[in-house]
Amino acid sequence: MQFPGQGKPPAGIIFDADMGNTIDDALALALLYGFDGKKEARVVSVSTTKSNLKSAAFCEAVGRFYAGAVSGAFGSFSRTLPVGLDDGGKMAEDTPMLTGPLSKTAPDGTPVYQHGIRKLTDTAEPGALIRNAFTAQHDQNCIVILAGPATNLVKALSVPGAKDLISRKVRYLVFADSPAEFHLKPDVAGAKKLFAEWPTPIFAAGDELGRELAFPGASIEKDFAWSQAHPVADAYRAYRTMPYDAPSWAMAAALYAVRPQEGYFKLSEPGTITVSDDGRLKLAPSSGGKHRYLVFDPAQKERILKTYTEVASAKPVPRLPRFRPQQQQQAAPPKPPVKE
Amino acid sequence: MILTGKALPRRTFLRGMGTAVALPFLDAMSPALASTKTSKGPVRMAFVYVPNGIDMRYWNPDYEGPLAALPRILKPLEPFRQDITLLSNLTHNNGRALLDGAGDHGRCCGSYLTGLQPKKSFTDIKAGISCDQIVANQAGKQTRFPSLEAGLEDARQAGDCDSGYSCAYTNNLAWRSETQPLPPILNPRAMFERLFGADAHLTPEAREQRNRLRRTILDFVSEDTRRLQASLGPTDKRKLDEYLSSIREIERQIEKAEKDNARIDPGMDKPYGVPADFAEHFKLMTDMITVAFRTDMTRIVTFLVTREGTSRSYREIGIADGHHPLTHHRNDPVMMEKVAQINSYHVKQFAAWVEKLKSIQEGDSTLLDNSMIVYGAGLSDGNRHTHDDLPTLIAGRAGGAIKPGRRIVYRRETPMSNLFLTMMDTMGVRVEHFGDSTGRLEGLDLS
Repeated sequence: MQFPGQGKPPAGIIFDADMGNTIDDALALALLYGFDGKKEARVVSVSTTKSNLKSAAFCEAVGRFYAGAVSGAFGSFSRTLPVGLDDGGKMAEDTPMLTGPLSKTAPDGTPVYQHGIRKLTDTAEPGALIRNAFTAQHDQNCIVILAGPATNLVKALSVPGAKDLISRKVRYLVFADSPAEFHLKPDVAGAKKLFAEWPTPIFAAGDELGRELAFPGASIEKDFAWSQAHPVADAYRAYRTMPYDAPSWAMAAALYAVRPQEGYFKLSEPGTITVSDDGRLKLAPSSGGKHRYLVFDPAQKERILKTYTEVASAKPVPRLPRFRPQQQQQAAPPKPPVKE
Repeated sequence: MILTGKALPRRTFLRGMGTAVALPFLDAMSPALASTKTSKGPVRMAFVYVPNGIDMRYWNPDYEGPLAALPRILKPLEPFRQDITLLSNLTHNNGRALLDGAGDHGRCCGSYLTGLQPKKSFTDIKAGISCDQIVANQAGKQTRFPSLEAGLEDARQAGDCDSGYSCAYTNNLAWRSETQPLPPILNPRAMFERLFGADAHLTPEAREQRNRLRRTILDFVSEDTRRLQASLGPTDKRKLDEYLSSIREIERQIEKAEKDNARIDPGMDKPYGVPADFAEHFKLMTDMITVAFRTDMTRIVTFLVTREGTSRSYREIGIADGHHPLTHHRNDPVMMEKVAQINSYHVKQFAAWVEKLKSIQEGDSTLLDNSMIVYGAGLSDGNRHTHDDLPTLIAGRAGGAIKPGRRIVYRRETPMSNLFLTMMDTMGVRVEHFGDSTGRLEGLDLS
């Protein structure tokens, strides 16, 4: 919520991933909330293409964590964002990075990470959710990050009037490539449509970028240790036997999305990216093309990894709602008494 | 009126001395004067809007599917739970601030039936054509009035009613064009005269003559009435008697209200002829809407129960505080209790109307069966001004297009405009896109 006279806020981030398939998506979400806390960005929409309620539940649990639900250092002033979930049945299996943190319980048996997602109707239809998020952003003040199949973004693109809205609101889309079986192959038709019809510039972080910039697993036990319970750290531990370093496809995309001016990555020549039938990207250079690759720069590796660990492990910062001055912040009303 | 061996025309009027009284659906209006039990009336569509949100703790059941015990606010509708459909998680994104700052009351009402975010201004108003008027422009040609707009409070059309939003947004539901709202009729007498006058109103001379002679409007058409009665079967005669009695009862209530106004201090300025009692006013208006539906004078109604953001008090039920201030309760249980009582009071009046619609037969079905009446608000939590999970129910079966008796929970952020698009379909008006719709609303008919 924004009000006139308060200046243009940081860019609104729309993050869509196949949360639960690779750990970099969880790390990227932590990175984005870290930037949110530094007022460099605002996370305004989170959605997932992994058709599993636990995928959406994990996203919501992370959102609640950054709203202060676990640390208790501050109150949660507003409800967490609805989480968009593709219900198409893709990649629906449970994975340890989801079941691990979501099944973690306190000594009294209650879940450590609370969420409100029990059934499909507790999630949002992604097309409407993402479109609605666009409508609330200033012109050219929205950035989209895609770290999964294109399914949800194509749904948003297909909402009546959305293409014009995207042209007006969105600066660019950053796509995190990964092993093709996760991000492109599950919905090749969607990926083709996205790259052909998305109206803004697109930057693609190639598979090699994530592999070169592996997130240091040692950071989990060191930098995230300020909190006894951290959903992203617990997901990391559950994802694979520790210790390990994790390719950072989605993190690289998120880093460029928020800090494009920092020179973390080189850029390829412009051109047009197309998607092959077997789910691979190909850039055809052209001077007027809207698409570019992010290119790994070895000289920036240490700087990038330092930013990864510092920002992703940052403590939550309360974000006060931008209410008009006279209006008091209101918590959700208490539940009615239960009749005996 | 000339009677022949053919079916009585659906739009027959009793006429006399500048007055025309429409008739209800009679068996004689079926082909060959047959007493048919299979005929059914046209589908009617109405929107009943209550302001300042609703205490959702007492509105949403804790279950989905077939309706069982209803939560506290909906209790008055308990006898009709097989006639209503509860819809959850519908959202009006364009009621939200987006980039326009404060003014949720102005926005939520201005966007409610238009599906668009109204322009923040109190001098240069702009919203969009409302879904009822889209239907009225097409289906409305079949009836005497394309639509009727009713309300119970405050017809101001100018000035700042909410943080820079014009009163045109908070005080109207229906919009004929993006700059032209259709103000509701608040005065029962004005509504009565609109419905039963020969034209929009009786001529001043006719009104003066009627007042002088203290005759009812039915006296003007008595000769036509006698002629018609002679040609009707016993069932139709009874229907006609009941119908004419109901008109006389409305007249009597209006006369009573006018007399009462002379000696009751309602605590606020009201136009002449408006009952001091909220429930009585509500009943009078819905009685007339019922007649309008029954006689096919119109098939489309919007009813703004009270203006959005109203600070009306409800002394009738012992609540002297203003409605709007109460909804900003800061979780004070005393204030929250009063809000819940107001919400229940509104639903109680609505339930009485539902009962009336259900009591009127139309062939094998009832007037309620042939209607779809949305009851709802443009805010859910009036304290925090939330625009998602808007309180929404539909009374009626829309002639079979809706299978009621259920609570349907949609996915979060499902546009309310999807419901309106689907309702327009049901009225035979096909529109590809409305407001911020993303498609049709599935599941209403179980198909």
